[in-house]
Amino acid sequence: MRTMKKLYTLLALICFVGTAWAQTPKGDVLIKNGTVLTITNGTLVETDVLVRDGKIAKIGKGLRTPRGVQEIDATGKFVMPGIIDAHSHLAGSAINEGTSQVTAEVSMEDVVDPMDVGIYRALAGGVTSIHLMHGSANVIGGQNETMKLRYGTTNPDDLRFEGAPRTIKFALGENPTRGGRARGIQPQSRMGVEMMLRNSFTQAQEYKREWDAYNADKNARKVAPEYDLRMETLVDILEGEVWVNCHSYRADEIYMLMKVFSDFGIDRINFQHANEAYKVAPELAAFGATASVFADWWAYKLEVYYSTAYNAAILTENGVLTSINSDDAELIRHLFHEAAKTQKYGDLSDDQALALVTLNPAKQLGIDDRVGSIEEGKDADIAIFQGHPLSTYAIPMMTFVDGVKYFDREADKSDQRIYVNPESSIEEVTVFNREDMHKCMEGALTFEELFSTSKR
Amino acid sequence: MKLNKIRFQLAVLLVLCISHVMAFAQSDPTGESAVTNTYALTNATVITAPGSQLTDATVVVRNGLIIGVGSNASIPANAQVIDASDLFVYAAFIDGMSNTGAERPDNPERPRDLFTPDPPNEYAGITPENSVIEQLSTENGDIAQMREAGFGIANAAPYGRMLPGSTSLILLKDAEHVDELLLEKDNILYAQWVGAPGAYPGNILGMMAKWRNIYTNAVNEKSHVDMYSENPSGLPRPTNDRVSEAFFPVLSKEKPVMFDVDAMLDVRRAMRLQNDLGFKLIVSGVKQSWMVIDELKSTGTPIFLSLDLPKEPKDSGEDDASEELKAMETRRMEFYNLHVGQAAELEKAGIKFGFSAKGIRGSNLKKNVMTLIEHGLSEDAALAALTTNAADILGVSQVVGTIQTGKIANLMVTSAPYFTEDSQIRYMFVDGEKYEYEKKEKRKASSNAAASGDVLAGTWNYSFESPQGVSEGTFVFTKSGDMYEGTMTFSDGQPDTDLKDVNFRDGSLSFNLEFDAGGQSIVLNVIGSVTGNVFDGTITVDQFDFSTPISATKDGK
Repeated sequence: MRTMKKLYTLLALICFVGTAWAQTPKGDVLIKNGTVLTITNGTLVETDVLVRDGKIAKIGKGLRTPRGVQEIDATGKFVMPGIIDAHSHLAGSAINEGTSQVTAEVSMEDVVDPMDVGIYRALAGGVTSIHLMHGSANVIGGQNETMKLRYGTTNPDDLRFEGAPRTIKFALGENPTRGGRARGIQPQSRMGVEMMLRNSFTQAQEYKREWDAYNADKNARKVAPEYDLRMETLVDILEGEVWVNCHSYRADEIYMLMKVFSDFGIDRINFQHANEAYKVAPELAAFGATASVFADWWAYKLEVYYSTAYNAAILTENGVLTSINSDDAELIRHLFHEAAKTQKYGDLSDDQALALVTLNPAKQLGIDDRVGSIEEGKDADIAIFQGHPLSTYAIPMMTFVDGVKYFDREADKSDQRIYVNPESSIEEVTVFNREDMHKCMEGALTFEELFSTSKR
Repeated sequence: MKLNKIRFQLAVLLVLCISHVMAFAQSDPTGESAVTNTYALTNATVITAPGSQLTDATVVVRNGLIIGVGSNASIPANAQVIDASDLFVYAAFIDGMSNTGAERPDNPERPRDLFTPDPPNEYAGITPENSVIEQLSTENGDIAQMREAGFGIANAAPYGRMLPGSTSLILLKDAEHVDELLLEKDNILYAQWVGAPGAYPGNILGMMAKWRNIYTNAVNEKSHVDMYSENPSGLPRPTNDRVSEAFFPVLSKEKPVMFDVDAMLDVRRAMRLQNDLGFKLIVSGVKQSWMVIDELKSTGTPIFLSLDLPKEPKDSGEDDASEELKAMETRRMEFYNLHVGQAAELEKAGIKFGFSAKGIRGSNLKKNVMTLIEHGLSEDAALAALTTNAADILGVSQVVGTIQTGKIANLMVTSAPYFTEDSQIRYMFVDGEKYEYEKKEKRKASSNAAASGDVLAGTWNYSFESPQGVSEGTFVFTKSGDMYEGTMTFSDGQPDTDLKDVNFRDGSLSFNLEFDAGGQSIVLNVIGSVTGNVFDGTITVDQFDFSTPISATKDGK
């Protein structure tokens, strides 16, 4: 492993040098006199936020405007940290490599599509970062990519959240077993899912032993074992370098995964969807597991019937770090409303509710030292709202990433596409179909299933 | 001693082979072989290289080579003299990448009980050890068609999926045997982003990872093989893995990798692998290069632009069109202009590029080059792309690309400067062999086809049942030369799609078309028979084992 790691450090270095031209823009701005929802330090009224070179330089009253810095009057408006979506499939050219039930080697990093106009629509909902996830067609899916929504570039590297920890998608329940049955391969049941996880990690331990022995061998004439990027990634999970985000619904299988992880010494796990997580909230808290859930979306297949809109609140009150995600190109545009639902169902405080779509997902993704709250020294990823973001009347007005304004409701071109196919036909009416937007199982379906009614 | 003996045997064998070929050529029962293989084009305007022109010059060709260029080149006594006083002589064009000369093999059959996570390499499309030579056929119709369009050489790519094998440079001439076509064999490893249907790697996610895996294992295998060949004692035997071995010349950078990547993101993904792994990369068939100009420049990645240009969009033209519609039409036109202006942008940025003729045939080749010129590309840069740049990128500039004594006699002779609308090709010389073309009267071909009541040419209304319901629209077939071209239109507003591989013979018609279904490329194969004004056939989609009947009728006019 060590030589491989060296090789990869070297490769990473080359990558860095190779992509050095892709310096992303950083902005300077003074947001004046707004109501600042800091998340970590309460609500500050009539307060200014000064941004220098993409970072929050100062928070205070009556700040002087440095020369050359643009002023934005936020009087009567609300200034909050940019929203972070811990589960999105925006901007992916492909979502599932569903042909195999373990594909730890694949990475969404390779398939980012910076031209997805959905990115702009998300910015228009105050979102500044997303966790672009692999789909849920297989038990151990691909690695995910944490991104900043720096829309307007054609270079995928420009959207990378530099330094964010690596994460990977796992999936339990109906989706991976459906794929297994369709292809006549394992796993075809929930029991099979657990076995596949245990077998995979056992193989990875064996793989590591082989490579450790090879690396320790002092003999100059030695032959390397077979290199397997899949096993390399699984070893990285065992060593805590890749964090697991697991698609799950039922309490029993959530509990199962915690047991498997205990057995293999893996301590970092974020359960995605987790509609029944409330049933095992104390167990999740004891394990240190976290959850990223929907506010009130369920009943789209059998395993998602036993659900409640109190899920996020129950988890929060039980000390489980919880976020609310979209998994959807439309829902992502009003995650602030989704967060507000926890006040109707569960009475969470403003700070608690807002943290569900800001600081908490930042912690789950390991980027809370950079984003998720308005604090001096953090990245200037900021959304400005007219009306309190938790109010029904909230309207996102401006969105900044690294202090650069990527969305401004007052200066909103109607056609935001980065590329237009010259051979495309123009339809005057676009009918929105939510079923079409859901990409969790994209690419994992057979031709017949494409035309059947159940898609999710 | 032993080695010398083998050398001697080889030499004898070689002499035998050559004498066999010569004997064969001399006793030609068909009487088709040329009277002489020495030619002199006299008093011609000779464009020896882009931007360099001789007038009243002679080009002498003998035994496949150019043996003299200039006003005082001596003409051998046995030369056939062609008075080229009104003609223009260019180096024949070089196509950077297409399937010219290759016959598409049947898709590998899906094995019974396929274990989708780990399919056999052949099904996965991972066969870098293969060569296009196995697919080449001297009978392939594209060879003559490309030659008729001015090309003397094509870099022939094999059909297949992710790693189909190696390309070869072929001379576009008539030949008895495929070996005679080969200018350089297995010159480049060919790669594309085509996944295995329903098996690993199925899409770009799996293919990126698979590339990394294959490459790293090839690196390890190479050091194992090197160590073993030095001293095998006590070492496990190398596995002789054909995939790894095919990569050995790539690892040592003796052999470049050509990625067939039309879209900008696909180019970036190939460049990303190159950046991570370090091989020599050529990108080809590129259709969206203006978005990666900086990266092409900073990495120096050689590029073949696709000559397959988008059709010019047509505005609705309705007076009552909404502002929104008009704005969208304007934007669509803006991107059409970027497509057809990209060659000029590359020229402006100082990037040397060639062209790829993949997916485009016949008269469209010149038409599209002219479109690029109308949108800012200089004629010299266009000619360089078609000749010298392509030769440079493909590493054959010592033997082809310009008209120079000692180079292979690949010439195009036209009736007027090539980059004018009315210019016609009168002669092609490929490897010194002469091909003559009749002077074509303008627009005669198409009216002829109509007058002679061509069975296929015209508009056909089709209908078939897809899982979404009944699909209707038209097929429009046109005849150019002996070949048919066609377009499929859809009544539901989908954009028109070009038909590929249109084949019509003795009443049986087949063609295929490719379209994009949400990021997945779907190929429809249509085959059936034409009786009078009625076509009955079947559509099949290999990827899904799907087939459905289709019928069409030709409208009266």
